[in-house]
Amino acid sequence: MRAFGYDLDDLVVAHVLLALIPVILGLLIALPLGWWAHRSAGARRVLVPLSGALYTVPSLALIVFIPVILGTPILSPVNVGLTLTIYTVALLVRSVAEALDAVPENVTTAALAVGYRPSGLFFGVQLPLAVPVLTAGLRVASVSAFSLVTVGALVGIQSLGTLMTDGFQQDYTAMVVTGIVGSVLLAFLFDALWLALGRTLTPWSRARTGV
Amino acid sequence: MIEFRDVGKRFADGTVGLEALSMTAREGEITVLVGPSGCGKTTSLRTVNRMVEPTSGAVYLDGRDVSRGDPADLRRGIGYVIQQAGLFPHRRVIDNVATVPVLKGLSRREARARAAEVLERVGLDGALAQRWPAQLSGGQQQRVGVARALAGDAPVLLMDEPFSAVDPVVRVELQDELLRLQADLGKTILFVTHDIDEAIRLGDRVAVLRVGGRLAQFAPPDELLAAPVDDFVSGFVGRDRGYRRLGFVPATALRLVDLPTRADANGDSPDSTDRAVPGEWTVLLDGSERPAAWLGPDGARHELGSVYVTDGDDAAADAAGTLRGALDAALSSPAGRGVAVDGAGRYRGGVDTDAVLALLDRSSPS
Repeated sequence: MRAFGYDLDDLVVAHVLLALIPVILGLLIALPLGWWAHRSAGARRVLVPLSGALYTVPSLALIVFIPVILGTPILSPVNVGLTLTIYTVALLVRSVAEALDAVPENVTTAALAVGYRPSGLFFGVQLPLAVPVLTAGLRVASVSAFSLVTVGALVGIQSLGTLMTDGFQQDYTAMVVTGIVGSVLLAFLFDALWLALGRTLTPWSRARTGV
Repeated sequence: MIEFRDVGKRFADGTVGLEALSMTAREGEITVLVGPSGCGKTTSLRTVNRMVEPTSGAVYLDGRDVSRGDPADLRRGIGYVIQQAGLFPHRRVIDNVATVPVLKGLSRREARARAAEVLERVGLDGALAQRWPAQLSGGQQQRVGVARALAGDAPVLLMDEPFSAVDPVVRVELQDELLRLQADLGKTILFVTHDIDEAIRLGDRVAVLRVGGRLAQFAPPDELLAAPVDDFVSGFVGRDRGYRRLGFVPATALRLVDLPTRADANGDSPDSTDRAVPGEWTVLLDGSERPAAWLGPDGARHELGSVYVTDGDDAAADAAGTLRGALDAALSSPAGRGVAVDGAGRYRGGVDTDAVLALLDRSSPS
């Protein structure tokens, strides 16, 4: 679909990829870090405040400085992707640690006692049981990424944010509104998706009273 | 056989969990570790499957030092029942029980078939197999916990206060169940509890531990009750130990007496005065010869009191065939004589208090 001189489908796809890939990458990076923070009090004392501090760095500053540090082209979408990955990690390290903390100790003890090895314990018992708390964290990170992706438009990285920056320059309100509504809808859509995924993965958590 | 040789555990913070425990849990028996909190009973249990690594000494399982080899492999060969069951909340009952067979490499289908067998064995309805653990009562969860420990077919079972979180009635049921299973399976069981009554009820041998994992006394329960070695043990064993020991003294020499009996034709008729034998207590029997109530000399029905079961056909029936059961029946009956029944609940005769006391006199420990 074309509008305002842009192919909207392309903008939507770019927007989704630019937000979704960092969310998934960030989760994959946050899992081992959060596990480490869960295991070691020392690691937690460093990782949790550090990731909290990372989140306070302004996104535009990161997007501009990453090419300076890594030597990536200034117009590369990687700069935005990397920025959002960092934010996702910053948000999720604490979530992962807390999600793992929430797994009852007698369950992990029982798992070890019946002969799980550490990897089996993590993937077979701890991670599935961490899903409810983890989903909550992931939803926050996802909404945050879907809205921050628009900042990339300021340095010329295409997304629905482009409609906002261009619309603003052309004093074209409908264009700006389309950008805003579109990115909000996408954020909602993926939020619902994580929610549904979390529920599908945890049929046991709703069975409490269903005797 | 589980053998502790000078097993010591000093924790990182310097506290001593175990000083130097040496004892042997015999093959095919239930060995109970009992003691106050901080006595190291759970710590010693956990040295067997290396959930705790001793800082000195060693544990031998069937003559093999457990510290050799891979701990996960060791644990798959040892059943473990934890406090409050510790079931996996995200797996259905059947898959909880199938855990160890799956870890040992069975296909999911074979493992589930095995799990279904074990669930039946511990007396759980097959309909529960597809439930989530959160949908079960505490007692049912604990049964599933026992089933999970049995499913791996391990000859050795470690049980860490498995029944402490359920209410007293269910606890007794679970204890009976364990004794029944044990009569069938003959596992080597190491059982930890802080409840001396549970220890005495379940243990073939009971180890009383002091703080620091020092063995105060290690003996069969009747010996523990009859001859505690010191004040600590007698204090821990508690009051009434003389009476409780009677639960281990067989009453085979007890002669039952004849009591007047009659069929309990219309139990709910309030007007049975005409049927009373003047000055006599009569046992009313139902259609299958089971005592239903006493008919007093006043013509009124009276509660039976506790009955004395002569033969412990059901091994779990507490005090069956023992002086404790006989004495309790005599003392709790309104008629001054107790009613004796066989394993199937059929009337056998009366228990005369004097006869029980005479036997008691002969059997009391020097």
